[in-house]
Amino acid sequence: MAGSPIDIIVFAPLAPLFGVILFWFIQLLFIESQKYLLSKIRPKHEPLCRFTNFLGILFQTICHALGYTVTKSGISSFYISINYGKVAPKKEKKGVFEWLSNGFLFIGPFFIPSSLLLICLYFLMSSGFDTSIPGTVIEMEYTFAGQMITFGTNLYTFSEGFFGFLFNIDLLHPAHFGFVLLLIFIGMGIRPSHIGEKKREKVDMLYDLKNIKNNILHKPLYLFILFLMSYVFFYVSLLLNQNWYVSLFSIVGWLSIIAIVSLAVTHIILLLIRTTDEIPGYWKFIPYVVILVSYVVMRLVFFLFPADFTNSTSLLAMILSTILSVILLLKYKTNKFKTKTPMKSLRKLKTEDETDVPRRIIRE
Amino acid sequence: MYQEELLENEQVEKVLSPHPLSFMRLQSLCIFLIVWGVLVGWFVNFSEYQEFFFENFWAVILVWGFGLLLVGVIASLITIRWSIFFLYLGVLVGGIAIMFWIGDQNDAGVFIPFYSVAMSIIGFLIVELYRRSHKYIISNQRIVFKGGVLTKQERTLRYDKVSDINSKQGILGQIFGFGTIIPISQSGFGLGSDSSFAAGGIQVGEKKAKFMGIFGGGREVQTPRARSYYELHGVHPYKDVKKIVERLVQGSVIVPYQQEQVAFQKEQVDIQKQMRDLLKKQTKSDDGETPKE
Repeated sequence: MAGSPIDIIVFAPLAPLFGVILFWFIQLLFIESQKYLLSKIRPKHEPLCRFTNFLGILFQTICHALGYTVTKSGISSFYISINYGKVAPKKEKKGVFEWLSNGFLFIGPFFIPSSLLLICLYFLMSSGFDTSIPGTVIEMEYTFAGQMITFGTNLYTFSEGFFGFLFNIDLLHPAHFGFVLLLIFIGMGIRPSHIGEKKREKVDMLYDLKNIKNNILHKPLYLFILFLMSYVFFYVSLLLNQNWYVSLFSIVGWLSIIAIVSLAVTHIILLLIRTTDEIPGYWKFIPYVVILVSYVVMRLVFFLFPADFTNSTSLLAMILSTILSVILLLKYKTNKFKTKTPMKSLRKLKTEDETDVPRRIIRE
Repeated sequence: MYQEELLENEQVEKVLSPHPLSFMRLQSLCIFLIVWGVLVGWFVNFSEYQEFFFENFWAVILVWGFGLLLVGVIASLITIRWSIFFLYLGVLVGGIAIMFWIGDQNDAGVFIPFYSVAMSIIGFLIVELYRRSHKYIISNQRIVFKGGVLTKQERTLRYDKVSDINSKQGILGQIFGFGTIIPISQSGFGLGSDSSFAAGGIQVGEKKAKFMGIFGGGREVQTPRARSYYELHGVHPYKDVKKIVERLVQGSVIVPYQQEQVAFQKEQVDIQKQMRDLLKKQTKSDDGETPKE
């Protein structure tokens, strides 16, 4: 063991924890951004927003129910609607059980839905689930830096496999297609955008953090016990020279990465919806048709003329043709990208002749 | 269009028809048909099991038919409608018959997805035709329910005959803003029943002398249920329509205070009649003549 004893005993167990918190914060920022996008498209896409809200409430309610099941409180009632979800326990348990079930409610929705995707990925991905032992990665063993690097290496190995899978995904494969659908659904409903019918109780980042803070400060002793347990777990891993401790946190890190990717995919979809809203009439559906047609055509072409990287090339062609179709539609069907006259000279023209300028611009 | 059918002083408040997604139960049957057909096509042509299915017509049919009928049985048991099972059985038999008629059984893996999609499109069209046949007219005096693709059905319900209103909204309805409103009449129209029955049998005797008996028990629960022609099925916007119906029903119901007022007015009329009779008698006795009516 090359590190100082203080580093190993006190600081090293904190390293993967910090890593997880960092990724979780990134996830929170993505969620906030998604809620902003959803609020922007809400007036025109009320059903979609209701659907995403329902998904969010569904995940949240399931996590709450899971909390009651794990703590053996039992479930007496389970109610869910598009605006509101409620789970009531059979037995009102206090103390550590209440604390744990609240923990499931507040933290569960960030990780439990993506664990579904992780299970799917386990069967779909060819590599990426290998975790490394600290000693084999670098010379420094169970130190803060060593743990951090091991955690990062595990995340990197997983990300490499995950992104490799995503970039080579075969959308004509039923399992892959199902995975993409699940990825989108989980991304859309990772958190509900509001609870209650008229956005009375908005669920934002501060709301989440406040709840988690209250849950922690409500019973600091439990948090201390949790920390103690994790430290003991770290020492056991260290004595047996196993990667259990860092692997456990790496799994949480993987879940965060999956959640971030699903949120990123959802962002792209929401941005597409928001952009196509500006296109008038039935033209707005063209990009969605292009998505489908371009991919199928590319796959057909590669079926008739086999080549390498067919899946990724088809995916790339689909993305590029969709972007191109959106740009062309924006150019020819809306007023976007049409101002040939610079804004400054436009103002000058306006002062010269107030009535003639708009006509000239329209003609241009 | 409905003007000639209106009664005196009748005004149409709303003309409604079910939301396109309100018949999702029927549409989901078609969706399953597509999904399963495409899946079978993929298994036979592109999956790692394609060698097993290669030129093995009955294996393809067995897989396709097993999936169809299994889901048909499950859906029939859940909805207590055996028509779903027979529908899928018909699709299966039809598919096999066409394949034999064409005489190209080796391409079952290509035929099944296309056939499934074609049948589903027909199914979607029939569901859409069925949906469009529904028409609900809410007037200030009554609700007229119309429907029927071949046989035209019609139900008229006056608000004063409505004893109860049941309304329900599924998850899809909550998302898209539609729901079903069942006005239950005093005669019980709009009520159905859920019944469950459990039975057991016993056989006594091994060789010749046998005795067999069946015993069982059942229970029935009344629940608001009507055919889509006789309820406001999947109407949009649900909340507004519900409010209108409830307002109109409430408007034609005599509240206790009004009942008291009517009784009081009747009492007053009786007193006035008695007074009139007394006056007539008095006038008759005074004048000695019969008063004119």
